[in-house]
Amino acid sequence: MADTTTGRKPVSWRMLDAVDRLVAAAWPRGAHGMNGYLFILPAVALVFILIVGLGYMADYSLHELDLATYRLKDEYSLANYAAFFERPVYLRILGRSLLAAVIVTAVSIVLAFPYAYLMVRTQSAAIRKFLLIALFLPFFIGQVVRAYGWLIILGKEGFINSMATALGLPPLDLIYNYPAVIFGLVQYMLPFAVLLLTPALAAIGEEVELASESLGANWVRTFRHVLIPMATPGLVGASVVVFTLTLTDFAMPQILGGGTSDFIANAIYDSYFRISNLGLGSALSIILVVIGSALVALIFMIAGTGTLGISGRNK
Amino acid sequence: MSTQNRATGLSRRRFLATSALAAGSLAMPRIVRAQEPEKPGELIVRAWGGAWGDALKEGVTDPFTEMTGIPVRLDFTEDNEIKPKIWAAVDQGRVPPIHVNWDTTTNATISALRGVTVDLGDLKGLDKLLPIAKPVGLDGWPLVNTYSYVYVCAYRPEAFPDGAPKSWRVMLEERLKGRVALYNDGIGFNPIAVLAGGGTVKDIPDNMEPGYEFYRALKKNDPLLGEDPDFTTWFQNGEIDIACTISVNARAAKQNGIDVEWTVPEEGCKVDTDGLWIPKGLPENEEYWAKQLVQYAIGRDAQEKWCAALGLPPVYPGLEPPADLVGDPAYPTTPEDFKKLVRIPSPVLVENQPVWFARFKEIMQG
Amino acid sequence: MTGARGKAIVLWGLTALSLVTLSLPTLIIIGASFTSGDIIQFPPDGFSLRWYERLFGLESFKGALLRSFYVSAVCTAIAIPVGTLAALGTVRYRIRFRRALQVYLLLPFTIPLVVSGLGMMIFFGEIRILGSLWPIGLALCVINLPFMIWAVSASVNALDDELENAAANCGAPPVQVFFTVTLPAVMPGVITGALLMFILAFNEFLVSLFLVDSRTVTLPVQIYNSIRSVITPDLAAISVVYILIALAAVWLLDRLVGLEIFLRSK
Repeated sequence: MADTTTGRKPVSWRMLDAVDRLVAAAWPRGAHGMNGYLFILPAVALVFILIVGLGYMADYSLHELDLATYRLKDEYSLANYAAFFERPVYLRILGRSLLAAVIVTAVSIVLAFPYAYLMVRTQSAAIRKFLLIALFLPFFIGQVVRAYGWLIILGKEGFINSMATALGLPPLDLIYNYPAVIFGLVQYMLPFAVLLLTPALAAIGEEVELASESLGANWVRTFRHVLIPMATPGLVGASVVVFTLTLTDFAMPQILGGGTSDFIANAIYDSYFRISNLGLGSALSIILVVIGSALVALIFMIAGTGTLGISGRNK
Repeated sequence: MSTQNRATGLSRRRFLATSALAAGSLAMPRIVRAQEPEKPGELIVRAWGGAWGDALKEGVTDPFTEMTGIPVRLDFTEDNEIKPKIWAAVDQGRVPPIHVNWDTTTNATISALRGVTVDLGDLKGLDKLLPIAKPVGLDGWPLVNTYSYVYVCAYRPEAFPDGAPKSWRVMLEERLKGRVALYNDGIGFNPIAVLAGGGTVKDIPDNMEPGYEFYRALKKNDPLLGEDPDFTTWFQNGEIDIACTISVNARAAKQNGIDVEWTVPEEGCKVDTDGLWIPKGLPENEEYWAKQLVQYAIGRDAQEKWCAALGLPPVYPGLEPPADLVGDPAYPTTPEDFKKLVRIPSPVLVENQPVWFARFKEIMQG
Repeated sequence: MTGARGKAIVLWGLTALSLVTLSLPTLIIIGASFTSGDIIQFPPDGFSLRWYERLFGLESFKGALLRSFYVSAVCTAIAIPVGTLAALGTVRYRIRFRRALQVYLLLPFTIPLVVSGLGMMIFFGEIRILGSLWPIGLALCVINLPFMIWAVSASVNALDDELENAAANCGAPPVQVFFTVTLPAVMPGVITGALLMFILAFNEFLVSLFLVDSRTVTLPVQIYNSIRSVITPDLAAISVVYILIALAAVWLLDRLVGLEIFLRSK
């Protein structure tokens, strides 16, 4: 507060005034219409780093690997892209990743919907808090530690198998296969799905459900015909995020897959780090970006950006 | 009073004597130290984990640290993964991420061909080592081999009541479905697969088809694919009954009390070497001390301890095998031992291994 | 099955399933870390704190933990100004090509992490900044930026620009308005975003995998490397440290803004 006895302004005020004078000199009133562009400039620059990286990769993808020197040849060629289509393994891996993305998205949403619904509708603040914490904690713990936990639980001498053998059953093959990867991905994606569904469900007032019930619909029909359609923005947001994250996941197939359930991200990683072929790895990356973006763009065009969009007020 | 005087008198004398001694000892090493480059804060050695890293610590890096006072840190990044990082660092003029790379001879040769390794020709005692220590197909000593090893057929005796498996083809048996393990790029087994698939040594490397046939059949048995420590863990956890792995991993499980044995089946086993190399681009003093570390590793003490801990035949001549490995097929010493084993020359491996790895992955992914 | 009870059973049944899968690995790891045995198993073989003791002596884990904190701090420090300004810019000001801008700013999400990691590794390598710790913080900020923008824009949306008009009417110049009115008003979003950025950077694994080397390894990569090399219970112990940090973050987030903020529709 100003010291009224001496009339001097506090330091913070004087600093702000000085800054304001600078800004007024450097950024005239007329240019204030450009404020928006100025504000977004740092973010644009930051994201541009990714574009530069993509640029390098696009360039590298057009050069083949010279096996004699392990450097990329100088000539331009589409050999890396051809390799993707010619060698069945890559198409197989792509198919496997896409299939997983579809399954995981479906299962996650089926599990996330009741979770989000209960979180939003429950009267008890304690239960809501509990559900939120149970959601955020794994979210903050990260993929690697959780995958590791599942290795302990599902391994041949892990928790589940110890119980199985205690009951006289043969030990089950629960890890190092495709279903294990799918399962690991579902439990990882669950928090994402719930977080993206919740705002949409929260926006639907409880009156709507009450109205539906008073018109004679039981809860199943209410869900089917009222709730789910109204929650579409949430469903779209959740599906897009879970789909793309699953399609491009690396850690789960790597840790839980046993080496035989590679996804595209693992293939990209391998092509650079196992066979030192940067050209091929870059080509696979570009292909992944194109496929992923095309699918997302398709969904956005059909259904809008859902809860992912950053809505502005000045159209 | 007098006791105190005597005490102080004694202590003063002692103080003067000690300080003279201290000054003397401070001066002397400085004279010696003037010729030695400054010691780095630590040395980083890439190593394989589990029993391998433990053996390196016991035999090489801990004694080295005791001798020189330089702490050594082990980096467990996979050998394939650190290769492009080192190459990129050297290409871009940056300091490489490690000081010493404990690598397979094949990988080391590839890096040497690319020109990223420091020449080790000025190390002492190279001529005393067995001929296998010198790299093949390269000028001078861009790397030094440190021991040989065999990719044995390790198995759980419980699963083979009739005795050790006689042929690698036992891996195709239905009853072993999901209980077979290989390295995740097929290393150590790719040439043997050709033999197990009905081919001959002459088919390697031009006609690997019998090997790929064998892999396609093996794929139906759901093999587990992993790295060195995985094998020990899998045996310990009862996940597998048979594996093609380096004897070290099986021996580690055995030493942990697990019932594991190994054998050389009739088709043979691949024998190979590992070595050490130093990447270019290190600061001068760090390179000097890295070389000292390698120097120590090829000396008698280190070779004896390190290779005994691993259970592998060293390149330093005249050392006795550990008690549990005398006459073991995984510890070849005589020409007869080597006849049962398959050795592929380095140049062939350098050219073909990446192709073999890629094909293996393709078949196993599908 | 269609009555009120049926509804409760179905919904709570599915939710309970989710709760179990979400919490089980955490509980198991905590349990396994107290083993007095030599290998990871659950139930643990005896009870002992020896693996935690070992952990404190392990330079590698301590170093990695400190590096993770540093990297997360760099990430958050960059994210706060950049993300806040970007959120304000996109939501409150008139910008042409708004749609395109939205898509552009979502690129860190749409470009797969593995591709971002590889691309930044190549780029940073070419401009010779690979090998230091701060570029990792920068990279983590880039890939998680949409989270920051999302968090702040939730607050910006709720902001009543009449407040700023009022301040201007009282004679406050623009910068003063920004610091005394705008910024405090969006503070909940900024705090939420900052906390999110910190914890996401702390946990980030894949992009770090590309950018670190043995001198700069961060904790998630260290844990991953350890899983792949030898699985001893000290790994469980460090995971528990991780879990505790996550708990602290959740508690902090709740204290500062309340977790319920995520329930609000935009």
